[in-house]
Amino acid sequence: MKRRSFFLGLSGLAGCTRATRPRLNVFNWSDYVAPDTISNFEREHNVEVRYSTYESNEEMLAKVFGGNSGWDVVFPANYFIQPMRENQLLARLRPEWLKNVEHLESSLRAPKWDPRLEWSIPYMWGAAGIVFQKKVTPPLQAWSDLWSDRLRGRMTMLDDPADCIGAAMKYLGYSLNTTSPEHYSRARAELLRQKPLLRAYLNAEARDQLVAGDLLASQLWATTSQQAMDAPAELAFVYPEEGFSLYCDSAVILRESRRLELAHLFLNYLLRPEVAANVVLSVKTATANGSAREKLPPELRESGVLYPTQQVLARGEWVEPLPPDAQRMRDRIWTEIKSG
Amino acid sequence: MKRLLPLYATFAYAFLHLPLLVLTVFSFNSSKFTVWEGFSLRWYRAIADDPQLMEAAWNSLLIAIVATAFATVIGTLCAYGLWKRDAPILKGSLYVSLVTPEIVTGVSMLAFFQYLFRFMDVRLGLHTVILAHIAFSLSFVVIVVAARLRTVDPALEEAAMDLGATEWGAFYRVTLPALVPGIASAALLAFTTSFDDYVITSLVAGVDSETLPMVIYGMARKGVNPSVNAISALIVLALGVLILGAERLRSDA
Amino acid sequence: MERLRFWFLAPSRLLMAVLFGAPLAIVFFYGLLTRGTYGGQSFPLTDENFARLADPLYLTILLRSFWLAGLATALCVLMGFPLALFIARSGSRKNLFLHLVMLPFWTSFLVRTYAWMFLLRDTGLINTVLQSAGLIHEPLPLLYNDIAVVIGLVYGYLPFMVLPIFSTLERLDPALLEAAADLGARPLSALWRVTLPLTRPGMVAGSLLDFIPCLGAYLTPDLLGGGKSIMIGNLIQNQFTSARDWPFGSALSLALTAIVMVLLWQFLRRKGESFL
Repeated sequence: MKRRSFFLGLSGLAGCTRATRPRLNVFNWSDYVAPDTISNFEREHNVEVRYSTYESNEEMLAKVFGGNSGWDVVFPANYFIQPMRENQLLARLRPEWLKNVEHLESSLRAPKWDPRLEWSIPYMWGAAGIVFQKKVTPPLQAWSDLWSDRLRGRMTMLDDPADCIGAAMKYLGYSLNTTSPEHYSRARAELLRQKPLLRAYLNAEARDQLVAGDLLASQLWATTSQQAMDAPAELAFVYPEEGFSLYCDSAVILRESRRLELAHLFLNYLLRPEVAANVVLSVKTATANGSAREKLPPELRESGVLYPTQQVLARGEWVEPLPPDAQRMRDRIWTEIKSG
Repeated sequence: MKRLLPLYATFAYAFLHLPLLVLTVFSFNSSKFTVWEGFSLRWYRAIADDPQLMEAAWNSLLIAIVATAFATVIGTLCAYGLWKRDAPILKGSLYVSLVTPEIVTGVSMLAFFQYLFRFMDVRLGLHTVILAHIAFSLSFVVIVVAARLRTVDPALEEAAMDLGATEWGAFYRVTLPALVPGIASAALLAFTTSFDDYVITSLVAGVDSETLPMVIYGMARKGVNPSVNAISALIVLALGVLILGAERLRSDA
Repeated sequence: MERLRFWFLAPSRLLMAVLFGAPLAIVFFYGLLTRGTYGGQSFPLTDENFARLADPLYLTILLRSFWLAGLATALCVLMGFPLALFIARSGSRKNLFLHLVMLPFWTSFLVRTYAWMFLLRDTGLINTVLQSAGLIHEPLPLLYNDIAVVIGLVYGYLPFMVLPIFSTLERLDPALLEAAADLGARPLSALWRVTLPLTRPGMVAGSLLDFIPCLGAYLTPDLLGGGKSIMIGNLIQNQFTSARDWPFGSALSLALTAIVMVLLWQFLRRKGESFL
């Protein structure tokens, strides 16, 4: 009896003395911060950050959609911000706690999807193009090249409805954000036709296989492609002729968060030029932070892969949220393509 | 045929054991490629240095112990109750629970918890994982203990009661001790199933309840990573020791 | 007597009702709801989700699941029977050999599936060995297809087949085989015409123990099949996660559960013997 009450008391004590450093839960894309970004923040503010990663927007949204996931900060792509707002998932941002917004790239200071930055802070932007082994000749230049038999079984497309279906739309000459059922039905047919040629639908997971030589080509984001090339590996990246999708991953605070002030502190921290520059140096992305970009070494700042020329950029199209019918069509087709 | 059979058996045993052996051997490979480049413990060091992995391992252990404890107790009592007299609805639901595919159990629990959370200020977490594990382990425990009960002679309890014992006394002093090996087997089964579960756990886990299988799955998805080999080897070793130990105790008893 | 039994059964009843019955009821209900634009579920009630099950696209997946599960089960019978026979005839070391079969099963299923990824991938062990032996020049695509999935399923569930067949073999009366020999039958013939038919109950039990989990498999087709060899378990998981179409996922779950229950019912009817 005495032993039992002793142990009970001990466990009670242990429960009380559990460290009560404030905690922030951050859910981000994989490979989107430098090795010390999080730990520096933890040290500076004496907090604990639980940092976990995901590979796709859909994976993230599935977890937070219920409104009680436990995450505080997540990083959706720009075209998810309006839908998330409509589903009451986002907390309104307080500009007075985000003084570092002035460092953002001027073109992203009032973006189309959030003109007053009330809900999101642009973090990293990029495009989806084609990365391929240099030994593939002639070099790949267009989406149509990914429908060719010579790459059979050794190529992948992105596991992302907007990017993958978008590529098909571009291949067919349509807009990424079309709402025409006929366009969707044709895109579906083309993607089903392509499926037997693919190894798999992979996001960042394709990188290691490209570096190892398992894959010859992939539809992949510029940033992941740059990481693969720096592995090092003999790879080349191209922004396809027919056009390509542009996205901007932004930091948002979830409405369910109980640590709004701390979350804002974190966002403001990410907006510091030196922090953003540090991330880019280790992760090789295109940052939305203009001041940070200036701090980068020339080979990154002028990288054709991460920062394409205006001429190339003109072929890009921002992915936008679709009206409900078109969104349903896109989701339905995606399930059919993945299952077929 | 006399010689064919052992020959075939060798091949079959090789099929069963070589993959795990190979995995273990290459966990000591100093290179991350599948070409042997020398003996090294670097992958083991890597996992020891990984706090996320350590936390996941601890979660898995905690969940398995708690879930096993509850499932074993509840399941044993259930098997005993069913032994005395049939309870068709309960029995039927246990059968159905047994054959329901894991994915269905997992998604139905997710839907159920999310529905409940509309009325309660709770989230997915260790508690939801533990509840889910207790739920799916229950039918295994009942089956194993019930199997053991079939070897127990009901006359023993009757005799005890004739001699003045209460129902509870008869159960506790006569039947229960006879059941101990069965209960131990059931607990072992529940523990290993819980420790290893991925499908159901991944669906009902919350932000701070990542388990070891979830971490392994994430790493495996990204491609082959020798750290996974190292973790796998450790798990196989740990569970193997546990099983063999339990077997030894059982055969001694 | 009744009081004690009531309290003994009460926790299980509560558990089953709350953590098994209620969830299934909710899933059934969700199957009748409509999916919101980005996810979630809401009224109006609709039969669209169940109707969608008849779409050839999803029937194909169901058929493929039956096919792969059936193939894996059949292979398990083919591989498991001789192994069980060997164990049954190994005299004093029966227990040892039996344990050797069960041992891999006791370790992690996830680890065992990963082991095959390690062996089968392009830069995996099998391809590396074959290439360095000069037998092939390009790696063979052994992973991310139906074959890899079947191998994974057989590897995972073979012990479940060996055990029941072994039990049946153990209970076989050796006198029957002696009689067959006395009547002039050669060993192979006796095996085919006496032992095999008598082992049928064990094979049926093992087939069920294999087929049902293989039908609802998730990890094996996910890790070993890539996205190319999708089975019904993967489809369901996808609806509840990335696709965020819980109503359709619910309809699929119920369909799968119904199929499995029919199989179980058929088995119990014929076998008669109860596990509980």
